[in-house]
Amino acid sequence: MWEGMISGMMTGISTTLIPINIAMVLCGCFAGSLIGMLPGLGPITAVALMIPVTYGLEPTTGMVLLAGVYYGAIFGGSTSSILINAPGEAATVATALDGYPLARQGYPGKALAIAAYSSFSGGTIAVVLMMVFAPMLASVATSFQSADYFALMILGLTAVSAFAGRGGVLKALLMVVLGLMLATVGTDQTSGIQRFTFGSLELLDGIEFLLLAMATFALTEALMLILKRDASSDSLKPKMIGFKSLKVSLKEFKLITPSILRSSILGFFVGVLPGAGATLGSFMSYGMERNLAPPEEQKKFGKGSLRGLAAPETGNNAASTGSFVPLLTLGIPGSGTTAVMLGALIAYGIEPGPRMFVERPDVFWGVIMSMYLGNVFLLILNLPLIPYFARLLAIPRNLMVPIILFFSLMGVYLVTFNDFDILMMVFFCIAAMALRLMNFPMAPLLLGFILGGLMEDNLRRSLMIYDESMSFMWERPITLAINCTTLFIITLPLTRSILARFRR
Amino acid sequence: MAREKVGALIMLLFSVAYGVLSTQIPLSFLSHQETFTARTMPYALSVLGAFLSLAILISPTVDSSGKHSLAEETKGMDWSTAILLVVVMLVFGLTMKWFGFILASIFFLLVGFWILGERRKKRMLLTAIPLVLILWCIMSLLLGVYIAPGEIFYQLGIL
Repeated sequence: MWEGMISGMMTGISTTLIPINIAMVLCGCFAGSLIGMLPGLGPITAVALMIPVTYGLEPTTGMVLLAGVYYGAIFGGSTSSILINAPGEAATVATALDGYPLARQGYPGKALAIAAYSSFSGGTIAVVLMMVFAPMLASVATSFQSADYFALMILGLTAVSAFAGRGGVLKALLMVVLGLMLATVGTDQTSGIQRFTFGSLELLDGIEFLLLAMATFALTEALMLILKRDASSDSLKPKMIGFKSLKVSLKEFKLITPSILRSSILGFFVGVLPGAGATLGSFMSYGMERNLAPPEEQKKFGKGSLRGLAAPETGNNAASTGSFVPLLTLGIPGSGTTAVMLGALIAYGIEPGPRMFVERPDVFWGVIMSMYLGNVFLLILNLPLIPYFARLLAIPRNLMVPIILFFSLMGVYLVTFNDFDILMMVFFCIAAMALRLMNFPMAPLLLGFILGGLMEDNLRRSLMIYDESMSFMWERPITLAINCTTLFIITLPLTRSILARFRR
Repeated sequence: MAREKVGALIMLLFSVAYGVLSTQIPLSFLSHQETFTARTMPYALSVLGAFLSLAILISPTVDSSGKHSLAEETKGMDWSTAILLVVVMLVFGLTMKWFGFILASIFFLLVGFWILGERRKKRMLLTAIPLVLILWCIMSLLLGVYIAPGEIFYQLGIL
């Protein structure tokens, strides 16, 4: 196993150190930080906006760029959380709890520096863990058959819903089903029969994944900024005092180091769970640190605690890295953002899943090794640039929103050159806005849409192999084990509520 | 009515309509004999969608943010600006073929800035025109992607 890992690492290093890939890591981190910093725009939007750029690139280079954008956007989101208390997305909400009070106390530079060091440490430790666990999982998964894949996809889709939070499970599951429904539009790959095309030539190939991702995230986020008249985004003038002092003392480092180590491990394993993602990673790390802190330190949480800032920042970066494990080894995305990246992988013509580990080690190891480089770039290049990046927050909303809308529309148009796609994007954007206003989550929809085609193919294949019997769901021990896990996840909220009643 | 119930009701209607449309998926003679046809997955999804929608409708709303009504949730929202922007996006899509990438994009950005309250013409022009031209140059000159000029240029005899 270790020999395979070392040779894989070598492949990864030689792939990453190609000048174009180094440049892409740098561009990705830079662009991700810029986009992620804008309030309302999270990593999903950042990755979706950058996908059209990657279409002309090699799959490895494209994935390296998207991975850079992902953790760059997480880092960028922390910056807006700390400076103006406007988290770019849910994963950086916990960062704002202590980061913003710290900035208001006159230490924005210190808060940003701690966020940067924590992100770097969390990301780097998680990459080491990923190097150990991802090949192990991938080598087990190479024996998977269609039935196992089908069961895995059901598990992935269910897991996303299970982590949706109290009262959100059914809504998330419904959105998964809606995504699966949208995936059936177009020509059926096996029979060649048209489904739900309404005689339209434009729908023969189905709905473009990029179109749906842009419409449900980038366009919708930009329009929601307008709808909600977000006061924080009207005049995003960050406090520039104290930027010069990015120094963190040795005593402060000693204070946050144990938190960083604990949160890195916790964040990574939370991120590996399909569906959990960076949000849960950051909140769990924050909660763990608050519980572990001595009473005096506990009182500081929410008022500018250094541990309270370091823990969620480490946790969300470690979880972001961890979410690549199910994506690269099983082809099951661990979060909404990795779901978008899975769509990009499929668009490159790469079949995601354990075979990728064997057939495309350059992509597998290239992405992993590029994360090391990305973390270093984020620390040594972005940290000194933070004061300049922060000026972006001062760009007026009345210029920024039309530009975001324009780039979202062009991101799709310049790939397909079809005006009908622009109209379809507007339609999906309106539908997505309506669903969001009715409190339905969008990430499960995208996940269902991306996995829909693969799931139907694997189900069909399994039925053919097992002579049209559903026994494939339990005949192989591995399929049975995956299905039992799915059942456990589905019944978890119910079990929890029953247990809570008993306790009462 | 709680907003998530409204959503569930819409999704229930959508699932039923999707199920009805699934029955109209054409099948070849041979595929009628198969267990898994092009209709199987849509049927299953339609039933699952209807079941989940009903479950949301029937079960009590646990999520506190989902308890608000749609009217409460959307109160004070800037609908007029959002609707205007949606209309401009539609116009952008419809006119792209006629005016071409450069003209339609500059027009879209300028109108977008204006809708959002920007009135400084110099600032609007200095943002929109270079942005579109730079993007056009990157695509056409650097990446060699052919972007068709608008029909209007052929109609006017310019090209």
